[in-house]
Amino acid sequence: MTENSIRQEQIESFGRLMAGFSHDMKNHLGIIRESNGLMGDIIEMNVLGEDETTIQRLKKAISSIERRVCIAAIMLQHLSGLAHRSDTPCSSFLVNDLLTEECTFLERFARLKQVKQVVEPGEDLPSVYNDPSLLQHIIYRAYLLCLEQLNPNQSLVIITGRNGKNVTITFRLNGISQGSLETVSFNNLLPAIEKLEGTLKKGGENHNEITLTIPSLSVAEQ
Amino acid sequence: MTKIKLLIVDDELEFAATLAERMELRGIETQIANTGQEALEKVYFSPPDVVILDLKMPDMNGLEVLQGIKALHPSIEVIMLTGHGSTASGIESKEKGAFDYIMKPVDLTELLEKLKLAYEKRSKVEK
Repeated sequence: MTENSIRQEQIESFGRLMAGFSHDMKNHLGIIRESNGLMGDIIEMNVLGEDETTIQRLKKAISSIERRVCIAAIMLQHLSGLAHRSDTPCSSFLVNDLLTEECTFLERFARLKQVKQVVEPGEDLPSVYNDPSLLQHIIYRAYLLCLEQLNPNQSLVIITGRNGKNVTITFRLNGISQGSLETVSFNNLLPAIEKLEGTLKKGGENHNEITLTIPSLSVAEQ
Repeated sequence: MTKIKLLIVDDELEFAATLAERMELRGIETQIANTGQEALEKVYFSPPDVVILDLKMPDMNGLEVLQGIKALHPSIEVIMLTGHGSTASGIESKEKGAFDYIMKPVDLTELLEKLKLAYEKRSKVEK
């Protein structure tokens, strides 16, 4: 796979993440707009009184707006982080931070498939010096490949940890039948993973995991 | 528009509930469903005149629900809700039998106008 085709795939991954993000934002804005509109209706239609129903309607609309504005603000904060990762080809970063940003946008894909997304960040992980934008792309593709194997009411657990001087990101597919992961090919991801000097292995007690390993800062500096 | 029986189908519970309240304030009898399956059950047991249907839901694609509604009651008019930037999905849904489509966030005046037209078309067919 050439440098150009990896780059092409990266742009495609980013575009799909952004499309999902804009869809979610429209949903939040839709609720804000309707809640605000409901308050306007209550005032305009002169149904504003001190009766409990009207008060409850207003309270519900106000709390909806507050909650959705908070969610939208967090999403925008993560979007800013996600987008700035591609500012430089290589930088020092914490995998947990990168994962938190990206999972905000990945969760939508799981939700649409009725799969539960769980993130279990490991503690005290070393920094990584690598290409963060390329790692985002690999996580996105691996996530979608894992999601394809899962059915509604199953879960995808993403666990970060360390293995010696390396950082690991494990995707555990809870609920899949034993051996079903064996037939899934992650070969398309290998050129990009090699660029990160990383590896990808299938495993886990129930043969339901794939683990991406990438070198930490201390290794990269050697 | 007091005679209209409306069903709003959206997996965003808060959106559906708030829009339903606004419709009720305008005298429109409104039910809500949060999944495609629930929508089809409501159409089967208590058929509305018009359905406002989200295009993207976790259990069923909006287009599948549209086809299900049309199979149960061909004269029920469906207005699709789309969150997508392009109008392509809305046009596709019209080709598959939707009365019209509207983009999120919803402009209520526009939605009410489309709702009125959809109801008029449904009433003519029923006569």
